[in-house]
Amino acid sequence: MNDHIYFDNSATTPLDPRVSAAMQPFLAEVFGNPSSLHWAGREAHAAVEHARQQTADLFAAKPEEIIFTASGTESNNLAIIGLVEALDQRENHFITSAIEHPAVLEPCCYLEQRGLEVTYLPVDGDGLVHPDDLRRSLRPTTRLVSIMAANNVVGTLQPIRELARITREHGALFHTDAVQASGKIPMKVNTLPIDLLTLSAHKLNGPKGVGALYVRAGVVLKPLMHGGGQERGLRSATENVAGIVGLGRAAEIAREDMSAEAARLVRLRDRLIETLAISLPNAYLIGHRYRRLPGHICLGLAGQESEAIKLLLALDEAGIAISTGSACSAHHASEPSYVLRAMGFDVLRARGSLRVTLGRFNTEAEVDRFLDVLPSIAAALRPMTTRRPESAPAL
Amino acid sequence: MTADDLPGLNCGLCGLPTCAELAERLQTEPKLIERCIHLSPERVQGTKPASAAPVAAAAPGAPASCGACAPLQERTTSQSRLAPTWHDTLGRDIDFYLEHFPEDPGPREIILPHNPMLTREMNIQPGEILIGRPLGMSCGCPITHCGVVMQVDARTGVIVWCVTGPLNPRQKGFKDLGYYIAEGYEGMVAQTRVELKIGMRYFFQPRMCMLQWRHSGLVNFMNRTSGGIQVRLEGLWIG
Repeated sequence: MNDHIYFDNSATTPLDPRVSAAMQPFLAEVFGNPSSLHWAGREAHAAVEHARQQTADLFAAKPEEIIFTASGTESNNLAIIGLVEALDQRENHFITSAIEHPAVLEPCCYLEQRGLEVTYLPVDGDGLVHPDDLRRSLRPTTRLVSIMAANNVVGTLQPIRELARITREHGALFHTDAVQASGKIPMKVNTLPIDLLTLSAHKLNGPKGVGALYVRAGVVLKPLMHGGGQERGLRSATENVAGIVGLGRAAEIAREDMSAEAARLVRLRDRLIETLAISLPNAYLIGHRYRRLPGHICLGLAGQESEAIKLLLALDEAGIAISTGSACSAHHASEPSYVLRAMGFDVLRARGSLRVTLGRFNTEAEVDRFLDVLPSIAAALRPMTTRRPESAPAL
Repeated sequence: MTADDLPGLNCGLCGLPTCAELAERLQTEPKLIERCIHLSPERVQGTKPASAAPVAAAAPGAPASCGACAPLQERTTSQSRLAPTWHDTLGRDIDFYLEHFPEDPGPREIILPHNPMLTREMNIQPGEILIGRPLGMSCGCPITHCGVVMQVDARTGVIVWCVTGPLNPRQKGFKDLGYYIAEGYEGMVAQTRVELKIGMRYFFQPRMCMLQWRHSGLVNFMNRTSGGIQVRLEGLWIG
């Protein structure tokens, strides 16, 4: 058995061998440019369009509504900045949440500096956006509401159906960053009033370097990349055929296996939570107990939050990969998580969270080993309190 | 509840792959309904059986796991027999009263012998009685204290003890540390007239202080427990 355990699937996921197999021909013998008219181009073009259908099927969308990009970040930028560029009104207002990924917050910040008004909705102690807060924030000039389907730090699932419905009734567009949620929870755009949706291949056991944006028919965006006019003119550049094929296959596998895999991960997750509640009495769960991604756990150790980095490194030495906060914050590891601060955590606890995210290739045996190792590592840490953890909030 | 009453998404998020399986399990485990995130809270509440014990409401405006901001509290605990005056015996203002943990024999302190080597040289062990005076930067209290050792860190010399009355040394014998530095206090805050935040320095009155002089310290740990707000203060001095 490989000694290494990977419990950081929210950062990235291992490439599924079935996806890798599907991509192989397009790394070698099928090399054409999909824009070319000859046999080599037609082969590549057909593969791209097949992947587009596979991706569309994951969301019950039409294939022409799927735009391939290089990443979830690019898709978010296209949705937000591309929409602003296309607006012809002079006064515009966007609404998003305080806990969005930087790939949403930074474009909003960029646009604020250029005159856009943005409202950042608060979240409660579980990281949930309240529909009433959205209702109160809507204005006649609101053009877009962007709320992520699932948070990357805490795993919280937002009430997207309700938020999108409120937005649609108001007459604004609704975008969701579904990078964490895609392939893990059902999101059918033929029943959910979502206008724009972001996904990223490497979060659903696909390759890095490819993402997609669902754009409902009738929604007008301006491109960020100008050139040869690929992807309906919204994303010029020669397509990453192998990557797109990989995304398509990954989306197909995720759609076929979704409910069984979600149930399996929920059982693993819950066993982990319930066992830790006994073996680590000072452990507390962060976020809603059930409204969370199937394999996602965010927890803290009361009195030991200041030692989170040491715990992470000790687990790494034991061959177990988890994270604190999110991967995108690895360069700012000394800063408290803005997501947890927005949820009401103090600066100490906001630095001390541990994120354990299970995925397709994680097993019961790996969970068992983690449950064996974690308590002994935690016991060796210096706590901030000398008192026994008698009544820390329960998991 | 039948499968028709459930959303029919077969999402697996409840831990079961289909709504039909959940409906079947609900016949014997009705609380599983809480796991269906697609149902409204009202629908879930109406489906659950009545609880045997009411669930205590969380403090308004505060997440259950965060001890960052403790609102003003004026309630009196069974340990406090005095109405708060918010002044020490020299008339100086205080922000809160610090009680000792209910399971401890006295106020819990984290101390370091002025010569840290003494911890090993004297082979100090949990359960032993020590006496000493908190000299200098820490407190500057003129009174010799005695206490029972709770924890010892032989590597750093740091001792955790609970300050007790003078009867114990007379009955059990003791070791004399000489001088020590009081590095930190831990206890419960039952009465406060300010909002407590980690990182802030406060004036506080240890309830059992023999001189009833106010102390000052920085809160670097806080935890909301069933018995009140647990705090740790370091960077201590008197006055």
